[in-house]
Amino acid sequence: MSGPTQSSRGFTILELMVAMAIFMVICAAMFGLLQLSQQKYSSETQMSGSFQEARLGIDQILRDINISGYPSQAMFSKPISSASYAVSPFAWDPGYNGVDLSGACQVGVSCDPIPSGFDLIVETNFGSGVSWIRYQLNGTTLLRAVVPKTVNGDPASATLSALTPFVENVMNNVPVVSGSLAAQITAQHPMMFQNGSVPLFQYSCSTPSGTQPCTSPTAAGYNQPQNIRDIDVTLIVKTPQGDMQTQSLQLMELTGRGHRSNPAN
Amino acid sequence: MTRNFTARTAKQQLESGAAMLIAVFALMLISVVAVALVISSGTDSSLAGNYRTATSAYYASLAGLEEARGRLLWKNQDFVNKTGSYSSVFDPSGMLPAWGLTSVVYITNPGPGETVDPTGGNPANYADTEYSQEFPNWGLSGATVLPVIASDSPGVSLPSGGTLPGPSYKWVRINPVTEQSLQLDVNGDGVLDGASVLFYDPAHVNTSNQPAPSLVVPTVPSTPPTPTSVQALEITAFAVAPNGGHRLLQYVVAPLIISPDAMDQNFPAALTLDGNGVNYAGPGTNGFMVNGQDQRSGSPLLFYSIGYTNAADGTNLVTAATPAQNYQGAPPGPGGPPPVPSHAPGTIANVSPTPATSLLRQSWMTPATLDAVMQDIENSADVVLTGSVNSTEISNAAPLMSPTNPMTVVVNGNLRLNGRGFTGYGLLLVTGTLTYDPDASWNGIVLVVGQGILASNGSGSGGFEGTVFVAQTRDSSGNLLPALGGACFGSDSSCGVLGFGHGHHGFGSGYGSTPGFGIAYNSFWINGPLSSTGNPPVAGAQGPLTYKVLSFHEIPLPN
Repeated sequence: MSGPTQSSRGFTILELMVAMAIFMVICAAMFGLLQLSQQKYSSETQMSGSFQEARLGIDQILRDINISGYPSQAMFSKPISSASYAVSPFAWDPGYNGVDLSGACQVGVSCDPIPSGFDLIVETNFGSGVSWIRYQLNGTTLLRAVVPKTVNGDPASATLSALTPFVENVMNNVPVVSGSLAAQITAQHPMMFQNGSVPLFQYSCSTPSGTQPCTSPTAAGYNQPQNIRDIDVTLIVKTPQGDMQTQSLQLMELTGRGHRSNPAN
Repeated sequence: MTRNFTARTAKQQLESGAAMLIAVFALMLISVVAVALVISSGTDSSLAGNYRTATSAYYASLAGLEEARGRLLWKNQDFVNKTGSYSSVFDPSGMLPAWGLTSVVYITNPGPGETVDPTGGNPANYADTEYSQEFPNWGLSGATVLPVIASDSPGVSLPSGGTLPGPSYKWVRINPVTEQSLQLDVNGDGVLDGASVLFYDPAHVNTSNQPAPSLVVPTVPSTPPTPTSVQALEITAFAVAPNGGHRLLQYVVAPLIISPDAMDQNFPAALTLDGNGVNYAGPGTNGFMVNGQDQRSGSPLLFYSIGYTNAADGTNLVTAATPAQNYQGAPPGPGGPPPVPSHAPGTIANVSPTPATSLLRQSWMTPATLDAVMQDIENSADVVLTGSVNSTEISNAAPLMSPTNPMTVVVNGNLRLNGRGFTGYGLLLVTGTLTYDPDASWNGIVLVVGQGILASNGSGSGGFEGTVFVAQTRDSSGNLLPALGGACFGSDSSCGVLGFGHGHHGFGSGYGSTPGFGIAYNSFWINGPLSSTGNPPVAGAQGPLTYKVLSFHEIPLPN
């Protein structure tokens, strides 16, 4: 009767150790789950950020293409100068001098480097005078430049020094990125890069047989820049870091089609 | 018992507290994970939603522009002036725009239970704030707003009884344009004129007499500056996507009327051979005529029988045009009986002696610009056929073609126009070789532009009522020529093509024994109206075929 009662006996060291061990296991599981969650959240945030950037990028590109060639020469009976209207909806290089009737620039054949799968100059007025808007993929960075159009100016050289980063981590041109990254990308996403590089811009020209890829043999004779009617834009971007759990590369592909509605003079 | 009960209670209290702590802790961890997952997926959803909103508003607005552009055309079943209700903004023909400076027409497209009132000033009802920016001198309060038209695209009824919503644009505005509204100095005078509506002149040339179809500012406000000009209109569409994105897009458009004449909306001749080194080899029979006298009932008009554009070709053409009396037309004078045979060779004329005095528009005299006109035709065609086709395929593709329903038919390739009793109505464009069997006929405009070859060896009693225009713009490989080439009208052999006459191939030393009646200029089929009793009247082959888009741009809106 004078010994300690059962209620005040306390826990044995064994009980405490077992309890603590169980608690630690539960805690470890919880923290593991929390870490997974944080990694997932971090990956998703990266995906969201990259998607947001890519979406805004492709949206801007499509808007520029849609209003390319505004205002055309047909809006002026006596233009003040050739800089007051869009001579051609899309400029080219080398030898840009307005509408190419000579066929010196045939899209996909003899236009080099503009317009090409990774370089495009839109000529349009989006509210601040006629400008040259250039998109150029340099490595993994899509660059953009906007410069006012000048009389007898060369759009390629005028825009070159004004290019600034627009969308980062663009993976379309796999062969020019570092070797290991290229190998990793093509290994993890073989379907996306079946033919190596994925052109950022693919052109369709107006022909008597309807709109066809400018590189199609049936588009011969109609594949000058002023005949470009539609441009399919494909933007493949990578998140800055790989998946936090699997370390695999996270890519997303956005596509859209820009349509020129303005006449090409 | 009491003591034991007390001891158990204390133990239970101690243990239950620990369990609660552990449970709360575990729940917190789980909650953190759950919240993270919810936030992550929520971010994704909103991003995708934003993208859908921006894109859907753009396409909805574009749908509004296209609806208005379509409904300006006389042959659209929902033509805005179909019953004459909007005759105040169309010319006496009822088909061509004649908007007053302040005239405004709205098409509205409210959703279920929604009010759309662009003129009311209430932002909740999608007020049009852009008009007053473009026309600050009078704004919407001073505009002549015609009765609002309901959209014809509220939705599509489904077999299940439901409805698929139509495009979510809210309103479309149609009005004339000025330099001020466009913020473009069209005539380069340094002034943005806000008092003159703008016209579009497809025959306009620049100071070097080079083709430059363009908007023009009239010297007398609201009066067409030239007989070839037509009024330009502005179409503005405002769209709001269900979850808030909005876009404002704008077209400037003008009716497309097919005419090569620099002076008016006609053709210069019954047969026009446009180019350099053109070849004409008529059959030389008594029944075959190229008649420039307008066959329209009561018309006193005379046109050339054959028009050409290179002076060096004149002698050969006159020599080949035999018998001479079968080539009637202008000159010698207006109306009256056919000119006497001795004057007939004078009806074969150079229609472009110099650029400044050319009867042909400059835009119809260079391969690139003529090609562009043909592209416009193709873009508005009712039927486009590719490859080598014949009349049967035209009939199959255009079964409703009739005298009161002329159609625009484009053949990208070679056409064998044949078939006893076949008669086509409207505008026919052939980019390859048109091989003609006079068993068939065409009433309207025949353009053979591209390879520029119209050849025949067959026999029959048919012919062309209207006008025929032949030009070579491309070589045999399809490449654009630097200058127009030598178009050909004649027998198969003279034009260097294989014949088809009655099962023979390449037999052609000339036409068949009865090579049809030839070509007779007829403004009825060219200009119309083909039906003055219709509501609206029916245009001739030249159209208007569509409303050509002269410009497209987006007007930035505050977010």
